[in-house]
Amino acid sequence: MSEYVTIQINDKPIVAKKGDNLLKVARENGFEIPGLCYHPRLSPTGACRLCVVKIAGVQGLVMSCTVQVTDGMNVIAFDEELERNRRHTLAYLLAEHNEEYDATYVDEFKPLIEKYQLLNTKERPIQSFWQNIPRVIDDTSPVLTYDSSKCIRCFRCIKACEELQGKGVLSFADRGIQKYIVAGLANWGDSECDGCGECIQLCPTGAIVEKPNREVIDVNKIQRKVITSCPYCGVGCQIEVWVQDNKIVRINGVEDVSPNYGRLCVKGRFGYQYANHKERLTQPLVRKNGKLVPTTWEEALTIVAQKFAEIKQKYGNKALAGYSSAKCSNEDNYIFQKFIRIAFGNNNVDYCTRLCHASTVAAMIRSLGDGAGSNSIEDFETTDCLIVIGNNIIETHPVTATFIKRGKQKGQKIIVIDPKWTPLVKYADIFLQPRLATDVALLNGMMYVIIKNDLINKSFIEQRIEGGWETFKQLEKVVMKYTPDIVEKITGVPEKLFSEAAIMYATAPTAMIATGMGMSQQTVGTNNVFALLNMCLITGQIGRERCGVNPPRGQNNVQGATDVGASPIMYPGYIPVTNEEIRKKVADIWQVPFEQLDPNPGLTTLEIMDAAHERKVKAMYIMGENPVVTDPNQLHTIEALQNLEFLIVQDIFMTETAAYAHVVLPATSLFEKDGTVVNSDRRVLRLRKAIVSDKNIWPDWKIIVEIANRMSINIGNYNNEEEIWNEIRQVAPIMSGISYERIDKQGIQWPCWHEQHPGTSTLYTEKFNTLTGKAKIYPVEYQEQSEKPSVEFPLVMNSGRILYQYHSATMTRKSEVLNTFANESYVLIHPEDAQKYNISNHAKVKVVSPRGELTTKAIISDEVLPGEVFMPWHFHEAPVNALTRNEKDPISKIAPFKYSVVRIELV
Amino acid sequence: MQNNKNDENNFEILNQFRPERTEILKALHSLQNANPQHYISSDAMKAVAKYFNITLGQVYGIVTYYSMFSTKPRGKYIIRLCKSPVCYMKGSFNLKNYLEEHLQLTASTENISADGLFTIETTECLGHCEQAPAMMVNNTIYSNLTREKIDEILHALKTNNYEL
Ligand code: SF4
Ligand code: SF4
Ligand code: FES
Ligand code: FES
Repeated sequence: MSEYVTIQINDKPIVAKKGDNLLKVARENGFEIPGLCYHPRLSPTGACRLCVVKIAGVQGLVMSCTVQVTDGMNVIAFDEELERNRRHTLAYLLAEHNEEYDATYVDEFKPLIEKYQLLNTKERPIQSFWQNIPRVIDDTSPVLTYDSSKCIRCFRCIKACEELQGKGVLSFADRGIQKYIVAGLANWGDSECDGCGECIQLCPTGAIVEKPNREVIDVNKIQRKVITSCPYCGVGCQIEVWVQDNKIVRINGVEDVSPNYGRLCVKGRFGYQYANHKERLTQPLVRKNGKLVPTTWEEALTIVAQKFAEIKQKYGNKALAGYSSAKCSNEDNYIFQKFIRIAFGNNNVDYCTRLCHASTVAAMIRSLGDGAGSNSIEDFETTDCLIVIGNNIIETHPVTATFIKRGKQKGQKIIVIDPKWTPLVKYADIFLQPRLATDVALLNGMMYVIIKNDLINKSFIEQRIEGGWETFKQLEKVVMKYTPDIVEKITGVPEKLFSEAAIMYATAPTAMIATGMGMSQQTVGTNNVFALLNMCLITGQIGRERCGVNPPRGQNNVQGATDVGASPIMYPGYIPVTNEEIRKKVADIWQVPFEQLDPNPGLTTLEIMDAAHERKVKAMYIMGENPVVTDPNQLHTIEALQNLEFLIVQDIFMTETAAYAHVVLPATSLFEKDGTVVNSDRRVLRLRKAIVSDKNIWPDWKIIVEIANRMSINIGNYNNEEEIWNEIRQVAPIMSGISYERIDKQGIQWPCWHEQHPGTSTLYTEKFNTLTGKAKIYPVEYQEQSEKPSVEFPLVMNSGRILYQYHSATMTRKSEVLNTFANESYVLIHPEDAQKYNISNHAKVKVVSPRGELTTKAIISDEVLPGEVFMPWHFHEAPVNALTRNEKDPISKIAPFKYSVVRIELV
Repeated sequence: MQNNKNDENNFEILNQFRPERTEILKALHSLQNANPQHYISSDAMKAVAKYFNITLGQVYGIVTYYSMFSTKPRGKYIIRLCKSPVCYMKGSFNLKNYLEEHLQLTASTENISADGLFTIETTECLGHCEQAPAMMVNNTIYSNLTREKIDEILHALKTNNYEL
């Protein structure tokens, strides 16, 4: 509970939170005290001296931005003397300042100059002398330009980079009046700057300005500024989109709103070019004489409807399947799964989640009862100890990572577990680098240490785990086989390190885990996560605030798509399709006969592809996915698609997958959509239409409804997205309480049972979501991989993502900025292996696996272990999935993207 | 990745310091002293950033804040002439002109005399006000300066290639 105090400003009594910043309080109460260096998201600096006030009992003038309010404080914010003083200070700042203004940014200086009547140069008490100060311009960054002649040395950029983004790239160079901002060794383009643009957003005077669109943007001609959610990762950053001439010209982070509180990463801020790109699909296409040719919507939809009906009649229900999309809204996905279940009459609907966190979700649902992250994004900053395992979080969830870096500044303990070095290692207390696919051994080994040192949480085990002590004993039997020397041998991690890590985690007052693709994308993915959960459960590091397990989600709506039922085994709201009662309830809402809803689980993503390959599935409906690039074993995928009798692809671009389609339908991009998404911490967030799409481009859900109509199947008719959402609330109880109105400003975290419910920031504080309300332990053993390095394929390849590109890069590679940062495939190889195979740095090489081969560039780096190599998978010209295999994790059916044997040859 | 020779030297020097922030200034001094051209090269700054786990900008900020560090190569002998009030009034300004003329070199951290021997800089009070004007050449202070005395010093430096 915060304490409140009463203060007075110019005789007006004001109630404020104790310890709040005086300048902030004053401004919130209508006292527009000037000030340029203060920003509510930064620690106060006291550099510009414009915010001076008088405080009773304090001598002289005080900078209000450096003062915290205390009870009874009596403040004068405005009087003649203060205003005179401010005018003089301003005039001084102005004299040092280059006033040219090109209207490409919002200037905080200008309004003050007007207000204090300093526009007329003759009336200024101090004449301009900025021309005599050496001027430094740094134009080397792809995203911004710095000009020292406009810099007022307010510290805001330095603090934005350090305090908000945790990067510390910027600093002052030189001293005195010649002081200016540098990144790196006075070369922005060559520094550690990753282009997040936080410093641009916070610069008050246009000294740091944005580069893209500088020739077009005119802040006076902005048509609208629309708040929506970022189209990329599952952080769900809230963005403010600036539109000029129906084009996106700038994106800023929305200040003071969760989950990002104004922060963005380089993709969120600069990755928007795709929306207005000339290669967007703007017409439906149908295949005629082997070629895709433009057609009308009427013809396209009629063909689709006829073909679906025909195939269903000829081969039966099971011959049809669909891929839904983690890039589409909840409303789109909900309508898609409804269409599959009603029109196809089966549950063959799945999407890429099967390729990322399916194993995590499988383990979490069995063990905890829910597949979603247990905490809130803010907890990443406040928990005492954080394990980040198999997750390159700085690059894949950059804004979540800002919370971690801020936590670090306050003393948080960080443990990174990854076979490959990641940038978070720089912030870590302990870095464990196990060999690929040895996680279960490592985690069992850590549990061995925890048990040996008696660091288990006995009362938690007894009260909150099914079978209590008995179950624990079973686990103990398994993990006690993983003695430190055995674990060291399997994983290559020194005992000292993993013991320290285990003890650090177990003894922390609160501890959280973030797990990622490194854990999930293996043939033992589900077991990996079971092992992780076991460690979490025996130490009781879950079920309390700031404790738990979180799988940050890769795509903007990976979470939402499953939440609203794009799953072969779950109806909206995580209700098993096999549950009769629920099917009855849903049939009622959908107004279809209950018998029409298939009670059997459908096929998963890769099973659908396999079935297509075997010609069991004859028709596929793919919405917003690109399996040719994203599914494992590319050749197999292509053959499967070629075996289909009918394929429709609905997308924003002509993708590698669309090339095999019979009908291609142009859909709206996120910036053209209304609706909602759900981010990684279960927050339902709004999407709002920022730009108007070509009239030939339709919203995904509308296309689906129109197809159903032409099949004479009723899947509902809706006037807008809100009507769809309100139906979702009826079907999925976890969403009941969340209305568009309630999330207009701030998202709400499900479960939210009714309109008065605040939402749920931490899961499992009272009970787990299993039938018994208790968590389950599943002891697991380490298993060797079936695929092993050999003389022919001596290396093991790991794959992953980088900050600047996104998945199959359909969207990001349309952005000049992102391409300037990184637009080339490579393979990381350890110096020892480079020497062994005679490969020099930057050499052109062939990477060959038993499945296929590709050509790329070698980079010699000790970020990987000897015997292992790493490749980013974004680049279709070097398709990593030509090398991966489609062997599956038996429980979750995920494929082992992280483990393929290869050899590397010089080209 | 592949460390070159310079990098090895830099890290050899850095390894004498604990990787804690309080050691950074000392480490920078050592690096500058070890450089025949009396400056801190980009490679050296990169090594410092890596060694102390700080960013390049932070290193650059420190190096440019202190006038004793330079990011550009300098002459073998750095002449730092005092420009603080006492010396100034005792004619250090004229001596600066004299030095500049004599060495055909404008006072600036960035300039080196043609023979590679000299850089002229100005500095704040050297603590020898009672014997003003004063200057420092590398680590040695000369006071009660006159044109003649300067001639002598420069001559000695040039001919003996004086080790200071
Ligand atoms: S763009 Fe981001 S990383 Fe780069 S200097 Fe600015 S705040 Fe720092
Ligand atoms: S962190 Fe994720 S959601 Fe936020 S701006 Fe970057 S890509 Fe978008
Ligand atoms: S806003 Fe207070 S000193 Fe700048
Ligand atoms: S003023 Fe020059 S030495 Fe003190």
